Formats: sequence, C-alpha cells, structure tokens
Amino acid sequence: MIYLTLITKRIFLALLTLLIVSAILYGLLEILPGDVATRILGRDANEENLAILRERAGLNIPPVQRYFFWLFNIMRGDLGYSLISTRPLTEILAPKIFNTLILSTCAFLLYLPLTFITALVQASNKDKKIDNILSAITLIILSMPDFIIGTILLIVFVVIFPLLPAISLVNESSTLGEWIMALIMPSVTLALVMFVYGVRMLRDNLIEVLNAEYVLMAGLKGLPRYRVLIKHALPNAIVPTLNVTALNLGFLIGGVVVVEQICSFPGFGRLLIEAIKNKDLPVVEATILVAAGFYISANLIADVISILLNPKLRKT
Amino acid sequence: MFKIGFVILSIHLLIAVTGPFWAPFHYAQMGAGKPLLGMNWINFFGTDHLGRDVFSRVVHGSYMVISLSIFGTMIGLVIGSFTGLLSAYIGGWVDEFVQRFNEALISIPFLVLGLLAILVAGPKLSGEPILMALAVALVYAPRISRISRSAALDIIMSDYVIVARLRGESALSIIWREVLPNISGTMLVEFAIRAGFAPILIGSFGFLGFGIRPPFPEWGSMINDYRPFIFISPITVIGPALALSSLVVSLNLFTEGLARLLGTSRKEIK
Repeated sequence: MIYLTLITKRIFLALLTLLIVSAILYGLLEILPGDVATRILGRDANEENLAILRERAGLNIPPVQRYFFWLFNIMRGDLGYSLISTRPLTEILAPKIFNTLILSTCAFLLYLPLTFITALVQASNKDKKIDNILSAITLIILSMPDFIIGTILLIVFVVIFPLLPAISLVNESSTLGEWIMALIMPSVTLALVMFVYGVRMLRDNLIEVLNAEYVLMAGLKGLPRYRVLIKHALPNAIVPTLNVTALNLGFLIGGVVVVEQICSFPGFGRLLIEAIKNKDLPVVEATILVAAGFYISANLIADVISILLNPKLRKT
Repeated sequence: MFKIGFVILSIHLLIAVTGPFWAPFHYAQMGAGKPLLGMNWINFFGTDHLGRDVFSRVVHGSYMVISLSIFGTMIGLVIGSFTGLLSAYIGGWVDEFVQRFNEALISIPFLVLGLLAILVAGPKLSGEPILMALAVALVYAPRISRISRSAALDIIMSDYVIVARLRGESALSIIWREVLPNISGTMLVEFAIRAGFAPILIGSFGFLGFGIRPPFPEWGSMINDYRPFIFISPITVIGPALALSSLVVSLNLFTEGLARLLGTSRKEIK
C-alpha cells in the first residue's frame, strides 16, 4: 500500500516528539536550575542530608549520563523509584492510570453523544434561534474554568440535593456501587468541559459537511431529510469528529488533573499534583512522560484513521 | 451581542484599576466582620473563615488577575510570534527543529506545563506574580509560534516578498516591512483569544495551590481555600467564581466581536 510509508513516517515523527518531550522534561527538571538536592530539601537543609539525598537519587553522576540511564531504564520498563515512598514507580503508577482511564472512558462516553447530537442540531438549524441559544450556553460554560464547573456541580449535587458523595475515594476493595457513585461527579464535569470545546469545533465542521454539494444533491434528488443526514452526511462527519476529539484530548488530560483534585479521585492527575507539591521528581517525570505519550499516541491514531478513511490525505 | 461583553469587561477593568481605593476593607484585614457571615449589606460576599471581607478581596485581587493575564499573554505572544516568524523565514532544518520542539511542548497538557514551569522555578521565585506571567507565557508561546509560523509562511511564499528578496532587501527589512504588518491581524486576534483564556489558567494554578503567595487574594486560590466552607457559607466560593467567570465571559464575547469585526476566521484554541 502506498500510504504505508506515510503512516510509518507519522509513527516515527511521533516517537521523535516523545523523545524530545523526555529531553525537555529531564532538562528542565534536573539539568537547568542549579542544585536539585537543594530544591527538593529546601534552602535550609543541612549539608549531610543533601549528601545523602544526592547519593540516593544518583545525582552524583553527570546529568547527560543520567538522562541516558533514565531513558534506557524506561525502555526496559523500569520507571525508577519514588523519592518519597521508595516504591517502584510502575507499582505506584499502574493503579492510578487505571483509575484515570476508567474515569476518562466514562467521561468520553458521556461526551461523545452529547457533543455530536448538539453539534448536529446546531449545524442543521444554523443561525436559527436554537443555534444561538445553544451557542450562548456553550460560551458561558466555556468561560467557566473547569474547577468552577466542578465546584458548582459539587454545590448542586451535594449541598442542594444531597445525592452524591462529596469525595470520590475508591480503591480496589470498594463495591461496584461505590465506584459508580464516585465516578458520576468527575465524569460529568469532565464530559461538560470537553463538550463545550468539542461542540464549538464540531459545529463548524458539520456546517461545512452539510453545505457540501453532495448533500444538496441528495436533497434535490428527493431523499427525505433524515436519509440525507444518515446516509450521506454522517459518514463524512466522522473524520472531523475524530479530529476534534483528538484535539480535545489535550483538554481531557489537563481537565483530569483539576477534576481529580476537586473530587479527590485517586487517579493520575492527583498523583501528579501531589508529586509536584512534594517535589518528588521521578514521579513527576514519569507521569508527565506518560501523559504526553498518551496525547501523542491519541493524535497519532486519529491521524492514521483519518488517512485510512480519507484518500485525499494520502498525497502529502 | 458583543456589546454586552464590552460593557462587562469595562466594568471589570474599572474595578481593577480603581478598586483598591474604594474597597471597604483591606484584603488582609481580619475582623471586617464575624467569620463566615453570609451575604449582608456590609460585606457583599460575606466574610471568610478569618473574618476578612470577601468582596474586598475579590476587588483587590482583580487588578492582579487582569494585569497578569495580559502581561503573560503578551510575553508569550512576543516570544511565540518571533520564533514562529524566524523559523518560517530561515526554513530548512532550523525550521524542522523548532517545529518538533514546539510540538513536544504542546504535547504536554497546558496545565501540566504551567505546573512544570512553577516547579522548575525553585523556591525563590515561587509564589511571585511574575512566575505566573512566565508560566502563562511558556504555555502559550509554542502554540502561538505554530500559528505565527503558518501565517508568516503564507506571506513569505507570496510574490512581493520574493521580489523584495530579489531586489536585495535585507532580511530584517523584509521581516519588518512586509511580513510583520501582514500577520499582525491574525496575531491580534490570537492575542485576544489567549488573553481571554489566561485568567482561567491563572485561576487554575491558584486553585491547585501553586498560585501567588498568600495572603494575596488571588481568585483561584480563594476558591480553593473556601471550598471546605461550601456548606456553611457558599457565597464565599460563589463570589470569586462569579467574578472570574464574568471576566472570562466578557473577554470571550469581546474577542468574538473583535474577530468578527476584523473579518478573520475563528481559529479555535488548542
């Protein structure tokens, strides 16, 4: 297949980007600003503690060498050890990533139909009253930062109608019921945040699709409107939806951090915040790398699917 | 529609500039009232757990949020547009390299990137407002760089620039006289859009605990601090939240109107 080279090139570029991310991460955190040990322990740490830390964290090796050791270890699957709890990072990260994945999937499942239907309604009734009302509502929610949306939802569903628990602490031993209760708040918040960005982009894309000539043609042929929508417009709406979703993933990962903090959901985002507060460098590096990795791979998958679906993209 | 935005925005700016003069209380003044009073005529947003007047705190914090947003976005815009422009002009492997670099930076979710910057800055800078502005600039610069590069590429490929090059014009003069004026429209809209989002970014930093050092009344950290008191006195949270949301809504409405006025197509934020 001709476009196989194109796909391989994309994969290669993605890996390269990830590599650069790791270099930037490591460079920022370990190499550039002065003494790492002092930063972790604070300005008033005594010399002995600093020396112990340097030894333990392996900071005595020259930085560039350290970077390559780190990379090498990652490729073998060893992400290092947390400075605070000295447990291997893979052990710490795995369950949190799992939790966050469940959360993201729930949010995603909520977000997808909501966005699609709303954007479709807006696109089909462009500039009519319903479109403007929906646009206004979207703009207002868009302007509210995710933590405010989360906090408002918290107020509504915990204070006013005491339906849901205020904290979403779950672990392996919680029942399915507890899991579901805990997941509702964060996933709804996340879904809303993604929804407002997605629906704006999707609306414009869908308007383009609906105004295409083949849609007009199908309508002229006498096909009923819903048939035109489903058989002709919809398949062509998949690609823009995919692109919009891939772009939204950036907001998803960012939003996850805030939402998990609000609801105390034991996931990836909260882990990152805790690590930054505790200045637990290995954890910070590993988590950001994983986050960037997710984002890059998601974009890659979206790109590849678009290439496979749309022959016109195969030329580049 | 965007007139509403303009009006609200002007109110915000007015409060930001003149607020500290007429606010009823100082932002660190404890004892402006009994702790955790609800809304009343003296304290419009009630008092917080230390007895400080929330409304005054919101007013005092206002100028910081607005000036940091604008300042930070401006720094990001300057860095971003120049790197993008130069990258487009020089081309070749410099261009490739800068692009990969930008992409890597964009792959890190923006909140995380800002947190990273704050972490890296070390204990001396932490809690300083300037750090907030720099973090915002760091988050925006790669994205703006991308956009300015594609805008600049358009111009550079066009005939009159090729002619100017053939005439022997120096690179600097071409950039200054041909490229810059033509991308400034797009860049202005970009600036407006990003500046609209910046208060959210700064608020998020504050909310997560990485904001300006207390007791400065930054809206994000206020919302976070008052969260435990949501059940007792929700107005303490709603007050700053309302302020932040209305600021961003008005900024967004204003920039949409601006974009429509300038006729440039709305490029969505990534």
